[in-house]
Amino acid sequence: MRLQLPNGTTREVNGDPRTVAALLTGCDINPLEVIVTKNGRLIPEDATVSGNDEIRVFLVAHGG
Amino acid sequence: MNPVSAGAGERETIPYCDNCDDPAVYFDPRLQRHLCEVHLSQDVERRVIDRLARHGMIHDGDRIAIGLSGGKDSSVLLSILSRVIRERWDAELIAITVDEGIAGYREETIQSAVSLTKRLGISHHIVSFQSLFGTTLDFLLTAHPLRACTACGILRKKALSDAARDISADSIATGHNLSDAAQSVLMNYLRGDFERLLRDSSRREDRGFIRRIKPLLDVHEKEITLYSMVNGITGMLPECPYATTAFRAEVRTLQAGIEYHYPGASLRIIEGQESLSKQAKKTVRPGTVGYCASCGDPCSGHVCQACGLLQNLNK
Repeated sequence: MRLQLPNGTTREVNGDPRTVAALLTGCDINPLEVIVTKNGRLIPEDATVSGNDEIRVFLVAHGG
Repeated sequence: MNPVSAGAGERETIPYCDNCDDPAVYFDPRLQRHLCEVHLSQDVERRVIDRLARHGMIHDGDRIAIGLSGGKDSSVLLSILSRVIRERWDAELIAITVDEGIAGYREETIQSAVSLTKRLGISHHIVSFQSLFGTTLDFLLTAHPLRACTACGILRKKALSDAARDISADSIATGHNLSDAAQSVLMNYLRGDFERLLRDSSRREDRGFIRRIKPLLDVHEKEITLYSMVNGITGMLPECPYATTAFRAEVRTLQAGIEYHYPGASLRIIEGQESLSKQAKKTVRPGTVGYCASCGDPCSGHVCQACGLLQNLNK
């Protein structure tokens, strides 16, 4: 899987199926503080990601 | 960013909405439910309407000034209020944007605020630190060893109050959300600030004080962000460059961690504070309200915080 983080960096992670929450917490990211898309679609934190999914993580911008 | 539709294969890995057959975009850990774009939006709006009604925040004939930074919270608030008020109350909304003078950040959010108010047909006033106080926040922080969020908060509050008074507003609506409010309660505990912990700015009736309303207090920051995205209210906006240096940033991480491990904790923090505030009113005599010797605003000391800050800078 390709994982794009809020700081703009991209990393490849293995494609074993896991929840978004597991993927995020494995990167020390609190799922409450981000929004995630899979292949361009908004998904909840208990959705499963795997294989060649393109995962993008957006920081919930504070303030405003 | 506009989310694209689900493909048939993807639906196997994405939970369905609890209320319909569409894929969920949000899992609410407190209520253990999944919501699609439409039902998340309806749920957010219902909570805002409930709070407005429960706390009697809006009355027919009101002129409501809304603090519109152009960020997601105030933009979502304006979008929801503009529709809800049209349907339920005979009240007027006027947006006020305060330009603090934060290079590389404010320009984009102000443009977003201008676009939104035009789209919604809402009257919009922009005031700036430069015109009101003769300086920008960037300059203040370069020239003086100030805590960014403290100085900005004091001056922004003053700017918003003055602008609201200029348009004879009955109340000021701000986009503070549940996450913000829980963080503020925690910060007041950590500072040992009893007076701020118990303060209720929604019911003060001192001369010159404009009632404050916070209709988003039952909605988490993440829910507001999702609402904004799925309804196309704002794009992905930059974060204030000073936000990461604040005490609040540390408390935000703490609050988010607590909420993640103990869903509903933020709501309980707010409910506890509201209950404590009500109880305290029965036993604690309210402090004497005075008026600033410099600008005349209600305050607890000889001069208000904003005038005190500006006087210190000019010494």
